[in-house]
Amino acid sequence: MDTPAIATRGLTRRFGEFTAVDQVTLTVARGQFFGFLGPNGAGKSTTIKMLTGLLAPTSGQIEVLGLDFAAHPIDVKRQIGVVPEGLALFGRLTASEYLRFVGRMYGLDRATVNQRTDELLEFMNLANEPKKLVTDFSHGMQKKLALAAAVIHGPKVLFLDEPFEGVDALAAGSLKSMLQRMTARGATIFLTSHVLEIVERLCSHVAIIHQGRLVANGSLEELRAGVALAGDISHEKLTLEQIFLRVVGGTEANGEEALQELSWLA
Amino acid sequence: MAGVADGRPAPARYGLVSRLAREQYRALALARWRIIAHSLRSRRGGLDFGATIMSYVMGVGIALGPSVALGMGAWVALTHHHPLAIAGEFWAVCLIWQFLSAMAPALAGQNPEMNHLLRYPISFGSWVLLYLLYGVISPSSLIGALWCVALWIGIGVARPDLVGWAALVLAVFALFNLLLSRAILAWVERWMAQRRTREILTVAFLFFALAVQMLNPAFYQHRGRLPFGLKRATVVRVGSEIKGLQEVFPPGLASDSVLRHARRQTAPSAAALGALLLWMLAAGGTLTVRLRAESRGESLSEAPRRIASGPRAEGRRRQTGGFSGPLAAVFEKDLRYLLRSGPLLYALATPPVMVFLFSSMYRQGAWSSVPRGDALPLSLVWAFLGLTRLVYNNLGAEGAGVQFYFLSPTPMRTIVLGKNAFYLLLFALEAAAISAMIVYRFGAPQASVAVATVAWLLFAIPANFAAGNLLSILMPYRTSLTRMKGEAGSLGNTLLSMFIQLSLLGVGVAIFIPCAVFGKVWLATPLLLALAAASLFAYLRILGNVDRMVENHRESLTLEVMKAR
Repeated sequence: MDTPAIATRGLTRRFGEFTAVDQVTLTVARGQFFGFLGPNGAGKSTTIKMLTGLLAPTSGQIEVLGLDFAAHPIDVKRQIGVVPEGLALFGRLTASEYLRFVGRMYGLDRATVNQRTDELLEFMNLANEPKKLVTDFSHGMQKKLALAAAVIHGPKVLFLDEPFEGVDALAAGSLKSMLQRMTARGATIFLTSHVLEIVERLCSHVAIIHQGRLVANGSLEELRAGVALAGDISHEKLTLEQIFLRVVGGTEANGEEALQELSWLA
Repeated sequence: MAGVADGRPAPARYGLVSRLAREQYRALALARWRIIAHSLRSRRGGLDFGATIMSYVMGVGIALGPSVALGMGAWVALTHHHPLAIAGEFWAVCLIWQFLSAMAPALAGQNPEMNHLLRYPISFGSWVLLYLLYGVISPSSLIGALWCVALWIGIGVARPDLVGWAALVLAVFALFNLLLSRAILAWVERWMAQRRTREILTVAFLFFALAVQMLNPAFYQHRGRLPFGLKRATVVRVGSEIKGLQEVFPPGLASDSVLRHARRQTAPSAAALGALLLWMLAAGGTLTVRLRAESRGESLSEAPRRIASGPRAEGRRRQTGGFSGPLAAVFEKDLRYLLRSGPLLYALATPPVMVFLFSSMYRQGAWSSVPRGDALPLSLVWAFLGLTRLVYNNLGAEGAGVQFYFLSPTPMRTIVLGKNAFYLLLFALEAAAISAMIVYRFGAPQASVAVATVAWLLFAIPANFAAGNLLSILMPYRTSLTRMKGEAGSLGNTLLSMFIQLSLLGVGVAIFIPCAVFGKVWLATPLLLALAAASLFAYLRILGNVDRMVENHRESLTLEVMKAR
């Protein structure tokens, strides 16, 4: 059996008394498009920060492509690309300067960096603003640039924290195609998003974290089957949103009740 | 939800004192009060509030001296018939009022609150009123108003019959100043709202401040005579022309109105007041035009422009140097950051300018008794100062980009080494410029002094970088590359860095002075070289441990540097 792209065992992170991530154990196989979901404050960003080396776990183990992150952080970082929550951009560079900087930081030779920078800028529709500083970009443009930077070195595992937030529909379409082609070629994508339709359309496997604990994990079909079994309903009708609401404890009925309270809303 | 659930809102009236407007003023006052109250809940907020109160008290204290002078000046001008003196006082009040007002946003940034209010159904009149109210409580207006009262008291004591008229003239004059200052502020804010114009203004202001420093030696070198070789006759002729010209401007009109009233020339006095009123209306009109544009949703953000079509601009491949790899990438990135940061360029330009200024005093001023052989080492100490902010907080300007260093496979040691290499180049350039200036003005120093200076630099540079790398990791703070202002969390780092630099200088002095006193300057060199070896060793040890230290402080470092303001 292949070594998984990502494997965590008992991953825990505490901030003082508060446990943000509690004993999370999950496995993401190579080539999977993996969706990592959870309500606000559930521990998604904390988990992704630990998986990418931005945050040290309090306890537990992380392996990426079979390498222990704690023991081989540099080797792991060479293999992964990340679009973190804060985008990690250098605002006082232009887009091409930033991509060239990132490429060189990953040890790419100059010719490769130049070629990939040009291609990525064209692909992301950022090539027509050569003199504009990143700080002056719109949020969507910054997001696209962060994505370009995350893939410039051809990572085998890509971590994306809300990658489509603020990106226009045209660009989002191109990006989704690009990501799907990456997984077809064997790359693994670990994605968090609040837009469940996107996750449902792109991801083959989904995990749901709630109050720091992993409450669901499997393929979409497995999740549907599990939720249907628990609720005694036909699983074919369930959307990811319905699965999500049932798993994290909310129901559509609750939402409707809440709306009844706000009857003065037009 | 009672009241809201009742259904349709009553037809709204948006007058200046309508019910809605009064509710809005009340809500705003309450919100302001709650913000202050909440800020007091934290120790830091309490300190900030206390500091604000103290700054107001100190501002009033500082303004009180000139108030007394203005009041007495007005009294003397009227009792001893010096019409130009009172005009000068009005001009001083007007210019200082406007200057203080215009400087506020350049240093503290624009006031976003007014623009936020535009989201609400607030009438234009109410919005303008609030904009003026914010102006009334600004330090410049408070000081200006205090000085107007001082002038009024001085005039009233000298000529009690002028109390009423002077009060009227001064009220119009104060209102003019308020409107003008708010109009200027509105335009400055309009420029400050965009990064490019903001940076141009900031750099212009900084270099203006530096240029003002240059006036000092000009006056210093011409004591007892007019500066720049000006002739007295020229000054008198220009002065009389200015005297005639100033009478058509508001300070001249205000003083003219008071003085003519004192001479019982009622009609000319009223005409001058009328002209002053016209100026006031013009200032109000200028302000209204600007505020009207803002209230209509004028976009001043850095929103992306429409994407230009056509071929891409050439020259994108332009890069510095011919070497590659992470070290060069960091070097190149920091160079680009420097070239795009006005405050950093200013910080680097300041030491050579200051050395030039001090060298003037050193040559012929009060410091001329200090041995000239010390000029080179003392001047090179200045070269360090321009780099303090960079060396001792070398990750502070990265903002969200600091995350990238943790994500990339490049060890932090390489990143820090790249930064140190860049700072070394900057220091070499600074030192070369300063040394050339010193040699040009004083001649070449003694060989033994020059060698000892180089030995001290070999000790001080690695020691500075070692301490800088430590503080950058242990006490980082987010810093702005576009504004010259105090940064939250910078105080401890700044004090420590200053202490370290003074200590390094102290070590050099403690070795050099005894050697010089005993006529054995050559002995300083081997002693300093021994210290240099020790400091290089310390630098390499710290560099070797950078990754471990950064790992241990990863969260606090990221949090501080990415901190939102």
